[in-house]
Amino acid sequence: MSARDDILAAIRAGLTHGRDGALPRQTPAQIAAEAAALLADPDEIRPVPAGPDPVASFIAKCANPALGVTLDRVPGWAALPQAVMAYLASHDLAPRIAVSADARLDALAGAGLETHRDIAPLEPAAISVAQWGIAETGSVVIHSAPDQPILNAMLPRHWLVAVEEDRILPFLDDYAALAAPAPRNAVMITGSSGTTDIEGYFVRGAHGPGFVHVLLISR
Amino acid sequence: MADAAFKTRAHDALADANLKTAIDRTTGTAETKRAAAVDAFPEFQAARARAAAIKDHVIANLDHYLIAFEQNATAAGAQVHWARDAAEAAAIVSRICSDAGAKIVTRAKSMLGEEIGLPHALDDAGIERVETDLAEHIIQLAHERPSHIIWPAMHRTREDVAALFFKDHHPPPDADDAASMVASARRVLREKFLAADVGISGANFLVADTGATCTVTNEGNAELSTTPPRVHIVTAGIEKIVPSTDHAMALLRVLVRSATGGEVTQYTTFHCGPRRAGDADGPEEMHIVLVDNGRARMVGDEFRQMLRCIRCGACMNHCVVYRQIGGHAYGGTYPGPMGAVLTPVLDGLAQSRDLPHACTMNGRCEEVCPVRIPLKTLLKAWRLRTWDEGLVEKPVRYGLGLWGFAACRPRLYRMGTRMALPVLRLFGRGWIRKLPLAGGWTATRDLPAPAARSFMDQYERQQKEARK
Amino acid sequence: MTQPPKVGLFVTCLVDAMRPQIGFATIKLLEQAGCRVEVPRAQTCCGQPAGNSGDKRGAAALAKQVIAAFEGYDYLVAPSGSCVGQIRSYPSLMDDASWRRRAEDLAGKSFEILGFLYDVMGWQPQGVRLDASATYHDSCSGLRELGVEGQPRALLDGVDGLEMRPLKGANVCCGFGGTFCVKYPEISTAIVSEKSANIVETGAELLLAGDLGCLMNMAGRLHREGAKTRCFHTAEVLAGMADGPAIGEEA
Repeated sequence: MSARDDILAAIRAGLTHGRDGALPRQTPAQIAAEAAALLADPDEIRPVPAGPDPVASFIAKCANPALGVTLDRVPGWAALPQAVMAYLASHDLAPRIAVSADARLDALAGAGLETHRDIAPLEPAAISVAQWGIAETGSVVIHSAPDQPILNAMLPRHWLVAVEEDRILPFLDDYAALAAPAPRNAVMITGSSGTTDIEGYFVRGAHGPGFVHVLLISR
Repeated sequence: MADAAFKTRAHDALADANLKTAIDRTTGTAETKRAAAVDAFPEFQAARARAAAIKDHVIANLDHYLIAFEQNATAAGAQVHWARDAAEAAAIVSRICSDAGAKIVTRAKSMLGEEIGLPHALDDAGIERVETDLAEHIIQLAHERPSHIIWPAMHRTREDVAALFFKDHHPPPDADDAASMVASARRVLREKFLAADVGISGANFLVADTGATCTVTNEGNAELSTTPPRVHIVTAGIEKIVPSTDHAMALLRVLVRSATGGEVTQYTTFHCGPRRAGDADGPEEMHIVLVDNGRARMVGDEFRQMLRCIRCGACMNHCVVYRQIGGHAYGGTYPGPMGAVLTPVLDGLAQSRDLPHACTMNGRCEEVCPVRIPLKTLLKAWRLRTWDEGLVEKPVRYGLGLWGFAACRPRLYRMGTRMALPVLRLFGRGWIRKLPLAGGWTATRDLPAPAARSFMDQYERQQKEARK
Repeated sequence: MTQPPKVGLFVTCLVDAMRPQIGFATIKLLEQAGCRVEVPRAQTCCGQPAGNSGDKRGAAALAKQVIAAFEGYDYLVAPSGSCVGQIRSYPSLMDDASWRRRAEDLAGKSFEILGFLYDVMGWQPQGVRLDASATYHDSCSGLRELGVEGQPRALLDGVDGLEMRPLKGANVCCGFGGTFCVKYPEISTAIVSEKSANIVETGAELLLAGDLGCLMNMAGRLHREGAKTRCFHTAEVLAGMADGPAIGEEA
């Protein structure tokens, strides 16, 4: 028998001839119903929102110093270049930034910013557009795609991420509901990279970005 | 003998003041942060109960979910492998690496990888293995094994880490503070991430309805280990299944709070198959190795509830024994209370019979467990087996037999007490500083002398007098 | 008026041999709370040493003895959370259905003294005085298996002149663990040494707890270290019997 057959057989033996006697096996429909019931009354098992609406909650969560995130509200995509310029200047960075192929970032080039697509191993700053934001945790989510290189979120020292206000979901479960069909890689990013591996001291910028700046785009 | 080995390791650990400092710093912080996170989440107890129910549901239908996961992962283009035991799992991973012509392999921390002996297997295969989790990087340089499932290098102080990095990092760190050393590791490992042929990660969850694997990290090393290489290998225990992403989120809420006191990890990444047409990056192949290694058997025995474990480490952070002796003394892949239950499954009871006994049964571990594993009950189940399999030391066995014989005969017992108490009092009134055969107590503690007359004697005399 | 409840006192083997006064204090408290107390003669040990070592048969034999001796009472009460915890676990030791029923019946009416006084009898100390400072350690079995946490504190609050001081890590195990403390003495000593340091740090004159095993462990370590802390069972204080020698002090 293959390893697969052996393992499945052992599991079935355990489920049907267990210590507590034979268990009745459920039909797939019963299993699905039970799985769904385990998600009932979600408010009982998730935190109370930090603000009156998802956008306010998201902003409140991003203000948590433990996340190591800064946030700017940007009045529409047209105002993005200016916001990016201001951020780079405030960190004494040159007006150069790596961009993904997302068309909404095209306007950055020519607005006094020098942009490039190929990200360098030690890139100082890059910008991506997040598919979603999650108010419960102050997270942004990126989905791998032709115009969404995952590494652009991981390699730079400063990662800027634009997310539209109407893409802010209230809870983790609201994002989960959108998870099928799954992208190849979905990364939920909550704050800057960090580690507590040396004596429990928190150090920012372990492998990923040390600075995450959210640009919250209003319509 | 296993017994002596555990006691020797514990003795050495207790004598290591540096180790105690390191343990106190990390577990102390973890305990405080967890408490704050739980206080800030009033729904925690309900979330815990739900998390336990989700895991129980999965285990009761494990075959169904594994098949669903396999179908969906395969449909997404991943190759699913099954391994009965550690050796088979390590061999599958080694074969995939050699098929890929791998020279450099990056690994994102996975306790399952340790369980199946992956570091050794890769080293033996002559592949350059790069541990990318900062703590794993530290213990790779020190040629050690993890001492904690969340902070594998928690037994190392900052000064220890500095010594390792100054020796092995070229150029060396700028200074010996934590930030400079993290920066140095970032520099050293960044080149490796981009040069690797294969990236290996574990999985915190296997999502049945999408076929995705989910890994959580705070450093971002999982993304960096799994995105640039041509091949991504996931090794995961078969109990990691969840029905859907939604269920994963419910578990994530209690996992992260219990582990680090955060609400969610900085990076929570879902991988579903290899690179798709037009994708900007990502691996060309994705392999998932589903590992049994004793788990299927647990479905049917008294240790089934241990399959709920989501590897948060809270039990060890709150364990009085772990906090004294650290992780290495346990001698297995997994330390602390959860390790004391799992190690006998993985390494055999004869090898690890001390672990279920070296516990005060205080129950703090199960009080903090996010999936409410009855750890005390499971440790007692192992104690039962050590007794039944004749693995209890003879003096303890005979002593208990004698005690039980007398205790089941109250008149004999009373007579024995009447004779023993005056004898004991020969060694001291008030405090006894030294008592033959009781060195385990009196070497470090004084023993209060017993009463001159037992309660029962005194009470019976009172009753008699009252009747006069 | 309803009949006063008939309580069988389970003395515990440690109290029987080491500190009978705790047993007498328990009787006094139960009587003050309006119970009729008897001490069944056919009792010795609850079976923890066997149960905790994996000897299920040995533990079951003692369990049957306790069940037979106590099932005729309205309640079983003991001055020990760990013994009551063991008694409440008797059903899991019984393979035979009728014994399991009897075990469940007893488990349902077995209580640790302080929880019993407060939760079941609604008793409060009246006119008890002890001019001293004290700190309290939560013995693990009572705390986690029986939920004894607020009750002893509330009762001690009613003792005039007693100043209670918080203990850092009050709910952390003292390292006793029954046979654990002699099987793994080095680990046990390391644990109890942290506990004794925390106790000394409170500066309290007295250490109180609800389980004699833990008390002997902490008292023995404190005395070996030369600390002046005096140790009593909470029941002794509530019964006004903490004016004599403390644990380990010569009578």
